Amino acid sequence: MSGPLISKPLTFALCACVALGLSCTHRKAVEAPPPPTEATAEAPPAPLQPGPGTTQARPEPSVAPAEHPEGGVASTELPTDLAVLNKAMYIKDPLFDTNSAELRPDAREILAADASWLKAYSTVKILIEGHCDERNTEEYNLALGWRRANAAKAYLVSLGVSAERVATISYGEERPFATCHDESCWSQNRRVHFVITAR
Amino acid sequence: MKNAPLLVGIAAFVLASALPAAGQEEVYLKVTSPGLSRVMIGLAPFPSRPGTDPEAAATLLTALRKDLDQTAVAGFVPEESAKLVVVDPSNALLTRQRWRAVGAQFLLDGTFSGAGNQVVLEVRLWDLTSGEVAYSRRLQGTVALAPTIAHTLANELVHLFTGRPGPFLSRIAFVSDRSGAKEIWVMRWDGSEAQQLTSHRSIALSPAWSPDGEWLAFTSFLRGDPQLFILRPTGGYFKPLSTLPGVNSSANFSPDGKLIAFATGDAGNTDIWIVPAAGGTPERLTHTLGISTQPAWSPNGRQIVFTSAAGGSPQLYVMDSEGTNVRRLTFEDKFADEAAWAPDGVRIAYTTLVENLFQVAILDLRTNIRTVVAGPGSNESPCWSPDGTMLAFVSNRTGTRQIFITDPVGRPRQITTDGNNIQPAWVAQVQ
Repeated sequence: MSGPLISKPLTFALCACVALGLSCTHRKAVEAPPPPTEATAEAPPAPLQPGPGTTQARPEPSVAPAEHPEGGVASTELPTDLAVLNKAMYIKDPLFDTNSAELRPDAREILAADASWLKAYSTVKILIEGHCDERNTEEYNLALGWRRANAAKAYLVSLGVSAERVATISYGEERPFATCHDESCWSQNRRVHFVITAR
Repeated sequence: MKNAPLLVGIAAFVLASALPAAGQEEVYLKVTSPGLSRVMIGLAPFPSRPGTDPEAAATLLTALRKDLDQTAVAGFVPEESAKLVVVDPSNALLTRQRWRAVGAQFLLDGTFSGAGNQVVLEVRLWDLTSGEVAYSRRLQGTVALAPTIAHTLANELVHLFTGRPGPFLSRIAFVSDRSGAKEIWVMRWDGSEAQQLTSHRSIALSPAWSPDGEWLAFTSFLRGDPQLFILRPTGGYFKPLSTLPGVNSSANFSPDGKLIAFATGDAGNTDIWIVPAAGGTPERLTHTLGISTQPAWSPNGRQIVFTSAAGGSPQLYVMDSEGTNVRRLTFEDKFADEAAWAPDGVRIAYTTLVENLFQVAILDLRTNIRTVVAGPGSNESPCWSPDGTMLAFVSNRTGTRQIFITDPVGRPRQITTDGNNIQPAWVAQVQ
């Protein structure tokens, strides 16, 4: 299903790369990619080399370099260790307004970049966690986090990411990113968080 | 001190904990009429026959005294007055008259006996006005059950005076993080004897009792996704009830104990569903847009109150238990959630928002009048005692989140201290 959408999303991916301040150069044997904000001279690793049984499922790497001679997508592998891969934060977390699961304009931008990356690495599977600040009841926040996670998933799917690759869960207010009790933390806790569960 | 006449008769802990803060009275439930004085009971020394375990007898009496001291309706004659009563072994009538002289309206006398690990208590309650025996009872159990025997007796004494059993065998299930993860715990109604029921080391939430106290439904992230589980607190039974997509939260038993309403849904929706408590196929009740959660059955089982954000902000709605006839209940609140239907069927306690803090509100369905109680900090998750005379709720006024219950005059009393303790669920007795 991702086949017909390959070329456009890859252009997208490259734009996203640039937008994130990354120069998209070749990169080999990635051990532990630093967070993109510090990686001004380094690109996210390119899609995996097609492995056994994945040859047909992932045509992107052969297409992309041809369309983008500047070599935006390298043919190196993503880190094998999922913990390392997740630490690299290739997929950014969008934030939400209070009591809302609506995707803000900045959240849509982030999700569009995330979608491009996911389409470039089409074997990657993710879990979207919905999170909330502490200012509702536990139960309501559980439902609100569920709504946020699924709103993010629906947007990714609308941009061409296969729904089968995206699982969702809500943690409500149970797993806050920041633990203070004011807006500086609350704004960080109203988010969906992406976890790569398979590469 | 305009409350002085009432407070004089009330046990010391109430005096210590319930004096109103200057200028503001945080009274949740007006359960006793002003000026009502307690029935005073003389507690005669209970002789022990040979074979009685002296420790069990002492434990039983201590528990009995403590229980009755925590009620608004009856209390024991203070020990300094009781000491003045000279017991005349050859003249029981004269002894009872002496009890009356120190303020007792009733006299509880009794005898301990026992053999092996059994303790037997035989009691009589004398009405000192009529001179008749108003109540007599023989209670027996193992030595380890001495406190339970005391609670049973205290329950029956309160029942004599109010027509309702006391709370002394009731228990509160709750969520605590004191072990490092949110687990389900259970404690006696006064906060004593806390016991950990789950060791999932993930997140366990929203415990709900079956009305008979045999089952506890709750949500756990044990297997990754939140799922609805049911367990028997006395042990030996634990299984999933709903593994549907969604949050599988907010379980609430129907009054007959046969059905469980809960909240879940796929694709980001959360709706109210019901599932047989014995297991079976869940059935969806609501088809609202967005979030519907926190169902609570009416005591007659005909209606379910729940929270829905269909109209924007979370508000309380009520529907027939088949899912029909949905209508909105709250209009004055910026936010309304966590509805708990009182056992009397005519009041609903819930959590509202006042100046960005949660507060407990009580809606009277007969008058549609809503009373908001303003306490310090955020106060949420109200839950009725099984007899409807007390409320439990969660407050962060101490800096951590703790469970409070209302005391005999409706004021808050903290009953937990260790870690954070939330989501109280109260049942008359655990089977």
